[in-house]
This record gives sequence, structure tokens and C-alpha cells, in this order.
Amino acid sequence: MRRLAWVVVLAAGASPALAAQGSTAELLGQAHQFYERLEVERALPLLRQIVSPNWPFEVTPDQRVDAYKYLGACLAVAGKRDSAVLYFRAAIERDPFTDLDPSLFTPAQLATFGEARRRTLAVAVRPVQPARVDPRTARVTFTVVATHAALVDVKLSASGAGPPLSLFQGTMDGVREIAWDGLLADRRLAPAGRYTLAVAGRSRITSGSDSARVYFDLRHEVETLEDTVPDLDRGRLLPERISAEAARHDVPKGLGVAAAALLIAGAATGDLGGGERAGAAVVAATAAVTGVVAFRTHRRHGAIPENVAANARRRAERDSANASVRGRNADRIAATLLLVSPAAGKGTGP
Amino acid sequence: MRAACVIVGAAMLGGALPVVAQRSLVVAPVVSLAEHRVDAGFGIERSLGPILGGVGTLPFGSRLTLAVRALGGSLFGSKGVLDRDVGELGVEASVATLPWLSLQAGAGRRAYATKLGRQGWTTVDLGAAARVPFAGGAIHGVWRAALFPVVSVSGLRGPDVAFRAATGLEYRVRTTTLGVEYSLERYDFPAEAGVRRLEQLSGLTLLLELRLR
Repeated sequence: MRRLAWVVVLAAGASPALAAQGSTAELLGQAHQFYERLEVERALPLLRQIVSPNWPFEVTPDQRVDAYKYLGACLAVAGKRDSAVLYFRAAIERDPFTDLDPSLFTPAQLATFGEARRRTLAVAVRPVQPARVDPRTARVTFTVVATHAALVDVKLSASGAGPPLSLFQGTMDGVREIAWDGLLADRRLAPAGRYTLAVAGRSRITSGSDSARVYFDLRHEVETLEDTVPDLDRGRLLPERISAEAARHDVPKGLGVAAAALLIAGAATGDLGGGERAGAAVVAATAAVTGVVAFRTHRRHGAIPENVAANARRRAERDSANASVRGRNADRIAATLLLVSPAAGKGTGP
Repeated sequence: MRAACVIVGAAMLGGALPVVAQRSLVVAPVVSLAEHRVDAGFGIERSLGPILGGVGTLPFGSRLTLAVRALGGSLFGSKGVLDRDVGELGVEASVATLPWLSLQAGAGRRAYATKLGRQGWTTVDLGAAARVPFAGGAIHGVWRAALFPVVSVSGLRGPDVAFRAATGLEYRVRTTTLGVEYSLERYDFPAEAGVRRLEQLSGLTLLLELRLR
């Protein structure tokens, strides 16, 4: 029972807003029907109610523009040209993209609307549509409009960074699509961030001027980049020089071999009257000399050519691997996709 | 007949080597000055001469290596001692247990031949080899020791004591290694009729290891 009571209360709270929109849309629909039946005198009061400040219900911008447009159209049919121009201008000022379909409106209405456009300069940019663009093969497009012939300047700038990029500068009249290749003035791919597209126009008919701007967010979609091979630290490289301590060990090692040779030749063969002792002596002498020479040599030079070569080989392998990684990463970066999405905010003026 | 089997076996191993040559086969020609001493109760008989041959070594993985050797030469007797020819075939497996230490097991067939007769030796040995680098790794000091738990000599009972000891140096220059080694084998046979036979083979050996790709 309590739940039911809550539903009733919520429904009662929500209904006025729904009813308000419904009322405006309903009234606008009725006005359209009267207009299509050429009952202009019955349509006009309904349309005037909608644009009246006293109209108690919510009116969306599109509904308001539509109401002004049909007010202009009705008044043009009724022969009230000046009033029609006034209402058409009101529609154009609120939405410079407003236009009349030649298949639905009479030549007189079109001419009156044309007059309104000539008297009113307004420029605008359509809100940016979400898009996924490969800048190598496609372009980001923006739609701008000038209600009559005007010198128009379209500039793109990253919010709070760098000079703006001029996308268009010249005379235009009506709607125009402007393509952007995703590059900034320095011919580098535009970094991710928030961007502003600003349009400024100066009439070539009147002395009027107007401006508009939209905002959009730009993101990059890049395949995950590979990490390069880290620097070869001491643990991954062989020692290239012999330490003084290691060099000192060379002498006892050589003497160890010498002692073993003499021991084998002497102690083990006593009852057979010795054995090839000259051979043992040769090995012992060679080992002792080798130990001493190695010690002296490494104290002076100490380089280990094999390790130096092995380390150079490892460094070359690492460099080669990193060059490959960098190449693959460059290919991935070159294939970056731009993700465009509209951002909150819309404005006029600089 | 047994010697023939050993030779056939070695030949088969040798024939298999080219098939696995991609495992970085190492071949080493060997030249050795060997001295053979025998005391069989009639005084010490001494013979000396060169022995030539070769050793082929093939790694299996990072720790196991298999070596095959074939040696032959003539030992010239001292005064009143018969000259003799010696030939030997052997195989040896080696497992690296530490960076500087490997355990070895091998088997060999050796034959001594004089104008009076021929004596065959069959041995099995177990041992270890230590290789300690110095001079920055370009030179290694080598110590080897092995016991012969199985020694079969034609016409004789097996020895009570049988071992081999060796030491030397290995000098490495790129893919080539020059080795110099002094080695000694000693066999003490049990006394028979009051006579104890002692036998010893020692030698100074040079070998040149060539690493083949």
C-alpha cells in the first residue's frame, strides 16, 4: 500500500514536465496541420502563443525556431512581408542552419526568406559528430554556415596551447563542409586534448559580423607500443678487464699445475724408477711461466679480448633489437586513429 | 675378436658424427711422447715412443659431452727390451657438475703387440676433471684423476690398484685450443708366485682442439 502511494506521488511530480513538452509539441503540431490546410488565420495564434513570453510551458530551441519559421511562412502567405521577414530573421538568428524546403514552400515564401537571410548575418558550426578517423585515408569534417555572402575565417585551436590553425578563410554563402586532415600548423598529428573550432564572419552585404564556436575532444587510438630492450647493466655484461685480485691468482694457479705435474711424476712412480719426468718437467715449467706471464701481463693491460668481443656482440644485438622495436612502434604510431567526440560547450563571439 | 668389435663400434660412432655435426663438433689431433714401464719380476723394462691419434668431442646440451678417441704408435724398447706397437680406442662421457668440475666415465680397449705376441686391455674408468680459468679465461689449468674399477688384461688377473692422473694447460685462441698435458697411468697387479707385476704408462701430450661448425 505504501509502495503504491509512492508511485502515485512520483507520477504526480513527473507529469507537469511531460505535459509541458507535450503541450508545446501538441500546439505546434496543430499549427502545422492548420498551415498545411492553408488555414493560416487559425495557425497564427497558435504559433504566437508558443513564442510568447507568457507561454507557460517549456519550449525547446528547435521548437522555437520552428514556430518562428512557420510564423514567417504564414505571414508571407498572408501578404505581410515585413512581419514575415522579421519572424524569418528571428528563426535564422536562433539557428543559422534554418532553411525552407523549396518543395514545401511557395516561391513568395522562399523570396521572403531569402530577404531575411540577406538582412541577417549569422554564422554557425554544427556540433561535431562522434567519429573514428584514420588521418591517412580520411578527414574530420566540420559543417559551417553563413546566412549570406560573408568573409569567413574558420580556425581550429587546441585549448590553451599553440597558435590556431586556419582551416578556411574566404567568402562563403550558405552551408559549407570543411575537412581537417588531423595535422596542426607544424604538420604534426594533433595531440589528444580539447579543441575549439571558431568561426568568425563579416558580411559582404551589410556591415554586420558574427561568430560561433564549438568544442570537441580528440583522442588517439594507438596499438600498444613495445618496450625497448633495457640497457645492458653490469650483470648482463662480461668483465672486460681482469681485476688486480684475479691477476694475482694467476701465479698460484700456474704453480698448482706445475706442482701437480711434478707430484704425479715423482711420488706415484718411485718403485718403477720414475717415469717420463722430462714430460712432467716441461708441463711444470710451462705452467709456472704461464702463471707469472699472465700475472704480469694482466697487471699491465688486463683486457679480456674475448669478453670485449662478446660484450660488443651483445650490445650490437641489443641495438639491433631496439631498432626493430622502434621501427615497429613508428609504424604503429603512424597508424594512429583519431577519435573525435563532441565536448560540452557552445558559444558565440571570441 | 673383441678388439674388432671395439673398432667396429668406434667406426659406427665415427660414422654417426657427421649426422650431428651441427652440434659444434670439436676434433683434436693428438701427438704424444709416451713411456711404458713394466716390472714383471725381471727388472724394469722401459720403452719410449710417439703416439698419434685424435679425439672427437660432441656436446649434448649444455652439460653432457661425449668423446671418442683413437690412438696408435710405436714404443721403442731400451736395451734388451722388445719394441712394441700400441693402439687404443675409447669413449668417454663427461657431465659438468660445477662450472669448473666435471665427472667422467669412460671405457677403452688398448692393445700392445710385440713380435712375440699381443696383449689386450679392456678398461672402465670413473673420474673427475677440474678446469680452472686464469689469464682472463684464455688459459685453463686442468687436473684430472680417474680410477679403473674394471681392468681386464689378457693372460693376467686384474690389478689391485689402477688409476690415471694428469695435469696440464689449455690455451684458447678464438675457436682453437692448444693443450699440453702430462699424464700417468699406473697398474699394480696382485703377486703371483711371489712376483708382483707393476706397469705404468706416462706421457707428454700435445693436442690441438679445432671447433667445427
